[in-house]
Amino acid sequence: MIYLDHAATSFPKPERVFRAMDDFARTSAANPGRGGHHRATEAEAMVEDTRRLLARLFCFSKPERIVFTLNATDALNMAIKGVLKPGDHVITSVLEHNSVSRPLNRLAADGVITLTRLEVGSDHRIDPGDVARAFTPATRLVAITQVSNVTGTIQPVEAIGKIVRDKNALLLVDAAQSAGVIPITMGAACIDLLAFTGHKALLGPTGTGGLVVGERANVMPWREGGTGGDTSSPVHPGAYPHRLEGGTPNVMGLAGLREGIRLILERGVESILPCERRLLAVFQGALKDAGRFHWYGADKTISEQGGEGRVGLVTLNLPGFAPAELAAILDGQFDIAVRAGLHCAPYAHGHLGTFPDGAVRISLGWQTTEEDMKTAAAAFNEISGVA
Amino acid sequence: MLAFQLGETVMMKSKDNLNSAEVPHRYSRQVLFAGIGAEGQVALSASSVALVGCGALGTFQASLLVRAGVGSVRLIDRDFVEESNLQRQILFDEQDVRELLPKAVAAERKLRQVNSLVKVEGVVADVNPSTIDRLLAGADLILDATDNFEARFLLNDYSVKHSIPWVYGACVGAEGLTFAILPRETPCLRCVFESAPAAGVSPTCDTAGVIGPVVGCVASLQVSEALKILAGHRALVNRRITRIDLWGNRLACVDLPPRNPECACCGRRDFSYLEGAMGSEATTLCGRNSIQINRRDGAKLDLAALASRLAPLAKLEGNRFLLKIAVDEYQLTVFPDGRAVISGTTDPGVAKSIYARYVGV
Repeated sequence: MIYLDHAATSFPKPERVFRAMDDFARTSAANPGRGGHHRATEAEAMVEDTRRLLARLFCFSKPERIVFTLNATDALNMAIKGVLKPGDHVITSVLEHNSVSRPLNRLAADGVITLTRLEVGSDHRIDPGDVARAFTPATRLVAITQVSNVTGTIQPVEAIGKIVRDKNALLLVDAAQSAGVIPITMGAACIDLLAFTGHKALLGPTGTGGLVVGERANVMPWREGGTGGDTSSPVHPGAYPHRLEGGTPNVMGLAGLREGIRLILERGVESILPCERRLLAVFQGALKDAGRFHWYGADKTISEQGGEGRVGLVTLNLPGFAPAELAAILDGQFDIAVRAGLHCAPYAHGHLGTFPDGAVRISLGWQTTEEDMKTAAAAFNEISGVA
Repeated sequence: MLAFQLGETVMMKSKDNLNSAEVPHRYSRQVLFAGIGAEGQVALSASSVALVGCGALGTFQASLLVRAGVGSVRLIDRDFVEESNLQRQILFDEQDVRELLPKAVAAERKLRQVNSLVKVEGVVADVNPSTIDRLLAGADLILDATDNFEARFLLNDYSVKHSIPWVYGACVGAEGLTFAILPRETPCLRCVFESAPAAGVSPTCDTAGVIGPVVGCVASLQVSEALKILAGHRALVNRRITRIDLWGNRLACVDLPPRNPECACCGRRDFSYLEGAMGSEATTLCGRNSIQINRRDGAKLDLAALASRLAPLAKLEGNRFLLKIAVDEYQLTVFPDGRAVISGTTDPGVAKSIYARYVGV
């Protein structure tokens, strides 16, 4: 099987991740912070170590302000609903995943906030100038993705961050597709809230993720309960991370995530992108007639700019086949897993002109080889031959 | 014939404490029949039958059951009346087609006029693992009027699990097949057919056609068994499988295989269809208006064979990777691994039904 759906979740996970979870489950999986016995303290140490590794990955000096969540959706909801107040204005973009668009749309529909959804140009990037122009005195939050899960384009987060900081608003970045793929610097990029998932490029299991809460942001808790420590207090503690972490954490999952992050740090996050771009070029080069496909702007950036400004994710269509048909053929007859449809980002497909049928997304991961890309290209050649 | 000429003055035989006066006169001819009698009639009127499907077999069965005075008849079907149904689905007429009525609603409306003493309930719903408990609750007996094996295996699981008898019935062309399943007594459907026939090779009424008479025959045989069971004559139930071929002039009762102690359903009581672990799987595709059906039986499809079967019926287009079938407002795209993408609906039940009709399950 050739798995080219790493943007949905990385698969398989590295052997080390499986082993770390297995070892942890057998030896130390007690309830962190809920006891003084050494298994509980080991579990707590593991959780805190994972926070420290994430802090290193995101160049962030306050590991205690990294809060674990179920996934990126959970983190985004926590951030959006935890910082916005009635009357706030929010700026977002058409490139957003539903995990950003839907909570915002709901708040706007309920009259809690007003919302500006920025269009993007043919380069599939948000223009920082558009962000600046969209500001109103009520703008409280700018919520954008760092890498679109549909177009694969990297957004100018740093330039946008500076504008947002100047205007004294908060920047929420959806790093679902970028964490573990591109270097992220919380401070330099002026990011106030960073939502990430553990099960994609960070190579951890599903059920892990988190929200990095910068010092300018204060997120109201929406889940209160047991945290271990300070049990006598009648209310939930206000200090991070427990402020946003009620209930027993997913220690098993975090044990796996920790190993995934270690791997990324060992390999060096800056080495990942060049590798993915090279693989995309191999794929495109192995296609007999790349011009037959609709590349949604990616063909030139891959062939002429070495994939500059994008990650190892490309969305395309083959005229004559509906996206779901192409994906079904690749799966059923070539054992190649890709993702067809709208990728939970209907506005992005509206921008591309591919709504409502969507497109086929190919996304690479840590284990993808040149051989995989050539085999995939051969399958596309065979299919396009009968179209 | 002489007995029938006695007409309105017929005396009903009373057994035990039954008062013949309690049996409505409209059932007099049926009560005269010794196999039913007043006692049987009272038992019928206290019974509840669920009909799964209200197409050709279902409309015949329902008409017979409601006229016979079964106390409560529930008709379950999720389809709408179409012009091509009228040739054999005896409860429907052109007005129903014009009104785009759901079959269950149109049938209920007709049957209420036939017999106001019977509680007739038409339910527009898809019978699947998540709805079956609610839809079949309270039934003393289930009649099969479905058009596919997946649904029948589901009924079989339900029947065996809850010990409720059901009567299998199927027809296509001029041929039909029926037998009754009495849980714990007779072989269940999976003792007879361990698994569904191979995908795409079995004829269906939508691909090979069907004539009205064979539907009437099979439905009548099914209802006869139902009447025996409900009127208290379980011992008289036909323990063999009846096979008819009206065009080839063959009518046969064949022995069923014995109950299989290793049968997944009635032997091991592994109700995998009821638990939703078997059968096809419908996935709403990300994107608008299409459902993907995945088979879980590993069956492969011969696209060329399917294309030649469907050629007279639908607009086809394809290549070695897929076959596109345009039917009504839907498009089915089927693949050699048995999966299909059905465009034109967001309802998994509709998608499954179209798949069953044109590809077969």
